[in-house]
Amino acid sequence: MDELTRSLAWFRPEIALVAGLLLVVIVDSIGGAWRGPVMRLLTVGALGAALAFAFELQAAGAKGMLFSGMTVIDPLSAAFKLVLVAAGLLTVLAFSFRNSRELHGLGQGELFALVLALVLSCLLLAASNDIVMLYLALEMVSITSYVMVAYLKGDRMSNEASLKYVLFGAASTGTMLYGFSLLYGLAGTTSMPGIQEYLAGGIPDANRFAVYAVTLLLLAGFGFKIAAVPFHFWCPDVYQGAPTPVTALLSVLPKAAGLAIALRFFYGTLSVPAANAWDLSGSIDWTTLLMLVSVLTMTLGNVAALTQTNMKRLLAYSSIAHAGYLLMGIVALSENGARGLLIYLAAYLVMNLGAFLVVTLVHLHDGSFDLRDYPGLYRRAPLLTLAMAFFLLSLVGIPPFVGFLGKFYVFAAVIEQGMGIYATIGALNAAVAAYYYFKILKVMTIDPGNEDKPALKLAFADQAWLAAFALANLVPLLFWDRIESWARGALVLYAGR
Amino acid sequence: MIGLQHYLVVSAALFALGVLGLLTRRNAVHVLMSIELILNAANVNLVAFSRYAGGGLGGQVFAVFVIVVAAAEVAVGLAIVLTLYRLRRTPNLDDADILKG
Repeated sequence: MDELTRSLAWFRPEIALVAGLLLVVIVDSIGGAWRGPVMRLLTVGALGAALAFAFELQAAGAKGMLFSGMTVIDPLSAAFKLVLVAAGLLTVLAFSFRNSRELHGLGQGELFALVLALVLSCLLLAASNDIVMLYLALEMVSITSYVMVAYLKGDRMSNEASLKYVLFGAASTGTMLYGFSLLYGLAGTTSMPGIQEYLAGGIPDANRFAVYAVTLLLLAGFGFKIAAVPFHFWCPDVYQGAPTPVTALLSVLPKAAGLAIALRFFYGTLSVPAANAWDLSGSIDWTTLLMLVSVLTMTLGNVAALTQTNMKRLLAYSSIAHAGYLLMGIVALSENGARGLLIYLAAYLVMNLGAFLVVTLVHLHDGSFDLRDYPGLYRRAPLLTLAMAFFLLSLVGIPPFVGFLGKFYVFAAVIEQGMGIYATIGALNAAVAAYYYFKILKVMTIDPGNEDKPALKLAFADQAWLAAFALANLVPLLFWDRIESWARGALVLYAGR
Repeated sequence: MIGLQHYLVVSAALFALGVLGLLTRRNAVHVLMSIELILNAANVNLVAFSRYAGGGLGGQVFAVFVIVVAAAEVAVGLAIVLTLYRLRRTPNLDDADILKG
């Protein structure tokens, strides 16, 4: 009982989200035309409270296990919780039933409840300390995402995307679960620190092959969540079929939570802590495997994006490529790598949500996701085009924008570990990516067409959010030192000792 | 005397059958059934390890959670198969082809 009350005190962000979720469901079931704005307010309020509590967690810097070792509280999980809740809050604020043509006129309560459930499950996933908890949180993230993707009930694309997501997701998490069952048999415990202890004790030669096989099986689950090759097939279809605000949310939240738990699992379970770093001695060599996945992911994502004309599909392949860069932070197996991952994720959040906001607004006015309908936007919506330029340059990773900050840290971490060739492949990939990002910019500004269409009338709120995201892509570089110290302070990974 | 190895062989066979079904079946409902086979292969492992390999009760508790999650997953999966069936009049996955490229 004592432990329970102590744990609940460190569980405030999650409690705020659960309260918001229940209130939204209750308000929605009361009925009445007034309930739309109220539910939006409740959702924003719950996410805002969770954000405040996450700040508090990070300021406290506590370390320890909660709920009999099921989850853990440490500065690293607090930092990830901050990023995850911020992603949810920004999405709910910037995207709405008003500015999304697809969601217009649909029931609101379910979507708000699902958003809160998704953020909640991502928080649980990022702080899991036991493979039972990890599996449950992973499935909760997946199941809420499946329903959100199928939100357009009468739309074939939305349903087809969701079906592909369900079958792919269930198959990969099932494979991962089989890996977990073998890992439990080897280590004799489901607790992640316990498994680390088993692996640190030196794996008997007879079991070495089994541990390799388990790592491969687990990779299916992690790879699916972060959309890494070869578990990425669902990603373009789901991003295209889902309503755009849902796509924006899915491009950030599950990926960030998946990377957080992958970091925790690969560093905190499959490696051995050494002085100020982690070590593979005694454990198996998973870095080479993950490096291969990362190289394939960024290359395939970038090459496939070159020929896309549907903006949602293009951004899907771009997000696959970014997953490849993000994995560099894990492969580095160092504090700098983990810091790079965290900074990259925060940057990825503002640039990706911004790009999806532009896509949503163009669809609201022109009813098209096709890049071939984008010419002339420079004249018709100067602010929108300028904001898109910021997001695209940030996605390329050009210096005055935050995308550069993220790339800088992950590449530096990889080079520091003596993986020069790996960093070179990453840099070459960034050059390929520049081609298709600049192509969008060229279509919007230089290409002829759409001379007869009137200017886009953007609502004030949409203009304000475009400006806010654009600034968020530029201003953080003025506070570089503060971001670095924030990420450095976040690097305490509590492994239950 | 039936021991740990017998259970592991059964579960490996279940897992292999599930993967085979995933790769060869074209009917969405059959694919969902193959996924059930994979999940239950893991369950057999968990319970067997819990009984024979000194893993304590953890594995059995894990298996109960897996059963619950599998039910939730299949409920959502079947609901989506059903909506798609209403729109297209076929459960065949090869006909789900409007999203590609």
